[in-house]
Amino acid sequence: MAKRTIVGEPLTPSLLKELGAIESLPSTPAHFHPGREWVNSYRIWTCHGYRENGNQNVGYLRIRRVRDSDKTFKLNVHEEILQTDARVGITHGTITCRNDAPASLIRWNVSSRLLGGDGEDIPEVLAINNGTPDEGMDSITGDWCLFEAVQRLSPDRQTSLRFDLLEGMSLVKLKHTLSYRGVHPINIHKKETSLHRFVQFGSGILPTDYWLDPGHRLWIVTSMNKAYILDDRAETLFERDVERARASYRNRAAQRKSKQ
Amino acid sequence: MNPNDTITQLNRRDFIKLGGSAATYFATAPLTENVFAGRQRRKPKPKNIVLIITDQQHFDTIAAGGCRHVRTPALDRLKTSGISFTQSYSANPLCSPARSAVFSGRTSSECAVQVNGRPIRSDIPNLGQWFSEQTDYETFYAGKWHLPRTYTSTIPGFKVVNTGIGGFGYLCDTVMSRACEGFLRNRSQTKPFLLVASFMQPHDICEWLRLNMNDPAKLRYPELAGALPELPDNFEFDENEPDAIRQRRRNNEPFKGKWDQEHWRYYRWSYYRNIEYVDAEIGRVFQALEDSGHLDDTLIVMTADHGEGMGHHQMVRKSSFYNEAVRVPLLFSWPGHVTQNKTDAVHLASGLDMMPTLCDYAGIQPPAHMRGMSLRNILEGNASPAREFIVSEVTNNTGRMVRTESFKYITYKDNQTEQLFDMKADPGETKNLASSSRHASTLAEHRNLLTHWEARLDVPSSVPNSDTWRKARG
Repeated sequence: MAKRTIVGEPLTPSLLKELGAIESLPSTPAHFHPGREWVNSYRIWTCHGYRENGNQNVGYLRIRRVRDSDKTFKLNVHEEILQTDARVGITHGTITCRNDAPASLIRWNVSSRLLGGDGEDIPEVLAINNGTPDEGMDSITGDWCLFEAVQRLSPDRQTSLRFDLLEGMSLVKLKHTLSYRGVHPINIHKKETSLHRFVQFGSGILPTDYWLDPGHRLWIVTSMNKAYILDDRAETLFERDVERARASYRNRAAQRKSKQ
Repeated sequence: MNPNDTITQLNRRDFIKLGGSAATYFATAPLTENVFAGRQRRKPKPKNIVLIITDQQHFDTIAAGGCRHVRTPALDRLKTSGISFTQSYSANPLCSPARSAVFSGRTSSECAVQVNGRPIRSDIPNLGQWFSEQTDYETFYAGKWHLPRTYTSTIPGFKVVNTGIGGFGYLCDTVMSRACEGFLRNRSQTKPFLLVASFMQPHDICEWLRLNMNDPAKLRYPELAGALPELPDNFEFDENEPDAIRQRRRNNEPFKGKWDQEHWRYYRWSYYRNIEYVDAEIGRVFQALEDSGHLDDTLIVMTADHGEGMGHHQMVRKSSFYNEAVRVPLLFSWPGHVTQNKTDAVHLASGLDMMPTLCDYAGIQPPAHMRGMSLRNILEGNASPAREFIVSEVTNNTGRMVRTESFKYITYKDNQTEQLFDMKADPGETKNLASSSRHASTLAEHRNLLTHWEARLDVPSSVPNSDTWRKARG
């Protein structure tokens, strides 16, 4: 059996660098401002708990912030996850949020669909989810919305939000907090950089760490065995992985057919 | 001879003869008159059946069942709308072997699935194959299969709704439950279905163990210190356990990482969050059932392949016969048919019961040689004699557990140390009575039960240690 060394410690930016999940700190454009319009694309990277194998990109998440009004903004969200036998789960939607600290929800239109191993759409499993928060749910936000909100929060020990979470715009998870946890140095290519760290706790999730670069752009999100890593190449890398998976799927199908 | 026995024997022979193409046979062979003769007298039949399986779920992880450390609205709802068993056991506390028993009604050794990643032997039909042949239910599968591949888009007898990503329940369960949601919302009301929704969580605790093995003295999130659940009452372990258990403990992360008690509690806290995660995903499936008008006409069953050590006896993960690893949640709900809001602490149940129970609800005879029994009478409040015992197996066919009403007996191959626990006086399994002269006759009775059980089984000689159990301790 190939050597397998247990990682032994939770995912952090420094550990992700050690494990080869990140190579460099992406440069934040000078004009970037969390409260204006921007697009962030993240690789979705997973760790099986060993240093040598099982660690891979399995998808990507793209969030585009669009101005809506003085008091509201929209997030266009697109996430794709690659699964066994080259199936691809796609979630796509638009979320309208208040321009308040937790980016609380006003309304959303989200669809989820699935592509089969040959890239074909599987219409039987299409699900559409349009909604508004139930009455009385003033401080409810979404997991994708937190990717936006955390960039606007003050890096201050006093910063702490309390809210309920609507995960994926469909699953209610109560009593969440998001708090500032200070500055953490990281050395990449002999260049020392300080990252701001926020931590989220709440029901139905393991603690989630948000790591922001000095320009307050969200660079990495880690939670247990997964990481979202800001990377302009995220979509291109994913397309390459999907193509490989489809080729492998087609080969296996052909082998099965030849055995029959 | 029961006419149905003839048919099921015939099917079995044909499976042997056809080998790998047995599934094709089942999909195309004509039904014989004898199969129809074997159909049971009319009992109400649910229009649909949904079987929900989680991976590595400790039995005491449902808020409505008394667990104070979790919020589980979906499982609470299922529990209060039907029956939950407190004495339900995995037929083998490891993923693939446990699943082979659930989906075939035969022991994991009979299925030749004594370890992970093996297929059910081709002459034993799985639930999907049997239902496809014998019923008008269309059969669908979503999520983890693991017989042999963890995820696959080709499962004999099932149309696969979605696959998943091996080892990453945190991501793939969401994609899977969204696919189930779409399936249920789009499904016609008039076409009956059997849907298996098989979640990976809370199995991600395995990755958690590897990512949190070291540096236990430093709580990563100090603010959690006041929120960590207490250690279990049976946290300490018996130094004289069988070698198999001691070795397993020594090889696990807590001992390699020299955990302190706070880290053990942090692990338990994290496991509960994984439970809440999967509960929310199950809730999505329930919501889709309800919104699509399927809920009242659907028999919902929920169980897990095996449990989780959770620090009891300082064990983590599975593959032990202590209750935390081998006992599993088992819940049934069908409004107006299954008794509501009942906790059954009397009857022993096994993963082996799934196949005969679902066949009973579908109005068909199960395949031949079922090792479990239908639980339908119990579920519907009809008189049902308590079964005398159930048996579980363990990894690579190296151990056996016999659970009777009051005792649990455990024995391992090549190991003189047996275990006998009085489950009423010592539910935490802390006092091994196997060497107590006062319990000598009880020990002998349990050995005897095992011997007779093993004599009935049809275990291929290729399965390791098959001889050991045929010649079980007398």
